[in-house]
Amino acid sequence: MNKRIKLLFSVLMVFSLVVLTACGNNTKDAGDKEIGADGAVKAKIGVISYLTGPGAGYGEAITNGLKLANKELKEAGEVDLELKIEDSAGKQEEALSAAQKLMNSDNVDAIIGPTLSTEMFVVGPEAELNGVPIMGTSNTAEGVPQLGEYVFRNSIPETLAIPASVQKAIEKYDVKKVAILYGNDDVFTKAGYDVMKKVAEDLNLEVVTTETFQLGQSDYKAQLTKIKNLNPDLILASALYNEGAVILDQARKMGLDVPFVGGNGFNSPEVIKIAGEASNGLIVATPWFAHKDDEKVKSFVKNYKEAYGVEPDQFAAQAYDGLYLMAEAVKNAGVADRDEIRDALAAIKDFKGVLGTMSFDEDGDIVMEPTVLIIEGNEYIVFE
Amino acid sequence: MLSELINPYYLQVATFILLNIILGVSIYITLGTGQLSLGHAGFMSIGAYTSAILTLNYNVPLVIGIIIAAVFTGFIGVLIGFPALRLQGVYLAIATLGFGEVIRVLFINWEGLTNGAIGIRGIPHLGREILSFSESLGFSPGMIGLKNNQFVSLAVFLVLLIISIGVIWFFIRQSNSRIGRAFASIKMDEEASEAMGINITYYKILAFGQGALLAGFAGALYAHLTAYISPSDFGYHRAVEILIFAIFGGSEVIWGPIFGAIFLSTMPEFLRVISEYRFMIYGALLVLMMAFRPQGLIDTNVVNWIKRPRLKKKEGKHGTGNKKDK
Repeated sequence: MNKRIKLLFSVLMVFSLVVLTACGNNTKDAGDKEIGADGAVKAKIGVISYLTGPGAGYGEAITNGLKLANKELKEAGEVDLELKIEDSAGKQEEALSAAQKLMNSDNVDAIIGPTLSTEMFVVGPEAELNGVPIMGTSNTAEGVPQLGEYVFRNSIPETLAIPASVQKAIEKYDVKKVAILYGNDDVFTKAGYDVMKKVAEDLNLEVVTTETFQLGQSDYKAQLTKIKNLNPDLILASALYNEGAVILDQARKMGLDVPFVGGNGFNSPEVIKIAGEASNGLIVATPWFAHKDDEKVKSFVKNYKEAYGVEPDQFAAQAYDGLYLMAEAVKNAGVADRDEIRDALAAIKDFKGVLGTMSFDEDGDIVMEPTVLIIEGNEYIVFE
Repeated sequence: MLSELINPYYLQVATFILLNIILGVSIYITLGTGQLSLGHAGFMSIGAYTSAILTLNYNVPLVIGIIIAAVFTGFIGVLIGFPALRLQGVYLAIATLGFGEVIRVLFINWEGLTNGAIGIRGIPHLGREILSFSESLGFSPGMIGLKNNQFVSLAVFLVLLIISIGVIWFFIRQSNSRIGRAFASIKMDEEASEAMGINITYYKILAFGQGALLAGFAGALYAHLTAYISPSDFGYHRAVEILIFAIFGGSEVIWGPIFGAIFLSTMPEFLRVISEYRFMIYGALLVLMMAFRPQGLIDTNVVNWIKRPRLKKKEGKHGTGNKKDK
């Protein structure tokens, strides 16, 4: 045989050897699913998170929340969960590959994640087909839990958050006319807009104008001038916090002083950092409020700050509660079995977490009361 | 036995590799006539949306939907090809980039049809359709000892494998034909080819149309593999990703983009172990690559290097100088 072909073959052989050993490692740790010596129920939980790319901040908060929860659960000793964390890079294909790896190579008993609703739309049906319970902790789009019997979420959808905040704003400011401003090229802001439009119709509000902008835009004066001339009592803005903060800043500079109601994506401490004084008067509904007068919340905030040096945001809190819900299901199921865990998850009622009291409805969607917040004096406070 | 060997995870990765190979070949065809296109993500989205809308709203069978999508995208490609003919190099790249963006914005704003930025979900999934089809024929995966999910992944993988082998075979045949030689000659020197009597307009548009058709085909497959598409899947980064397959692997021979697609799609999976750093390494690799081998990893010399032993017997040592060999 010729030298070159020999060389080519040997390279191929080495390569396949590496692949084989890689597979070998994966199959080894499958199947340790019995109850541990100390009585704790063992289970393997897969996590799909957005760890690299522009949205890596979300993924980091989520994994931090999960790790903290897991540490506490281990100490409590009722369940012994092993977390397998995989990166999705915010892409559907990557999320799908990660999910397949978790479900088939790592043989996890349940999955937490993925971070984005778009990823969930791809991963959800696959988990359903495999019969693996999956819980999104940050998916807010409509239709996520309806993907299947095995699909759950513990994040409140926009359809719950926005009506709550609009309702409260109307009561307080006697609103008749509203203007809507939204980003039309992003899934998140567009979904928020659809809800806002419906809410305005349901509450018989007069929509004076609907204006759009694009992700990453920096000048909103044209839209804001138009809105200002129409004199609305309230502005509904479906924006992510980066654009939203700039919108607030420019609006206040123009003398547009009416309150704003934002969606879930507008809810971030970053808004105050970017817009400063201008952020006052922003109303958002959120499942998570870090300054709630509650023992659980206080200890969570304290522990999180100790471990990671920052205050937990909404994503960390939702992930934290997500793992607690999962642990509760594993504990009630008593065995690390995918179907048993699914049934136990669906049966959870009035579970007390840092977000509040949570239950799942028949679709697997979360049932809970969101807290409505307003920024006043450069701080989020409860809006009443 | 069989059921232990088939891991849907590996099949899933392999399926996306095959899809990327088709995309790599599609850009190779266009590059093969010296046309640098950044509009392939746009063509891909046209294919994806056409097939998704046809199968979802008009109950067109999946296979026919994919074929119509591919042909329709090819047609659009030919239409774009005419004005694109006047442009060369960077200017063409910018124009096609603009085309891709126009298509994306169109899909964002045409809400009645495309559901805007939210995207279309619940598109019939290729594997699950095959499963329900075979079940209607009275065949269930359990008969050959497979679970449903294994069967789905395996079926999708096999279908894509056959398709990609077909595509590669077709284009290898083409490159050794009159058309392939015309493409190569146009890439070398347009004026000289014209002087030799090659109909440049025809061949350039043919290449552009073929590239678009293939990209649209891959897009339609993508829609039916993930069952969810949104305009942001087909943005600028996708166009660059497709181009990188050909640039990294090399755009002189068809094996270049194929190798590029395989290598660049497996890399992130192998690097999963070091999760957060994997895209850093991926990036560093691309930079090194461009610094040391700007023509791409696989070029004509490499192909000859692999093939040469056979030639040596026939021709002796007359080949182009690879000095180490003497």
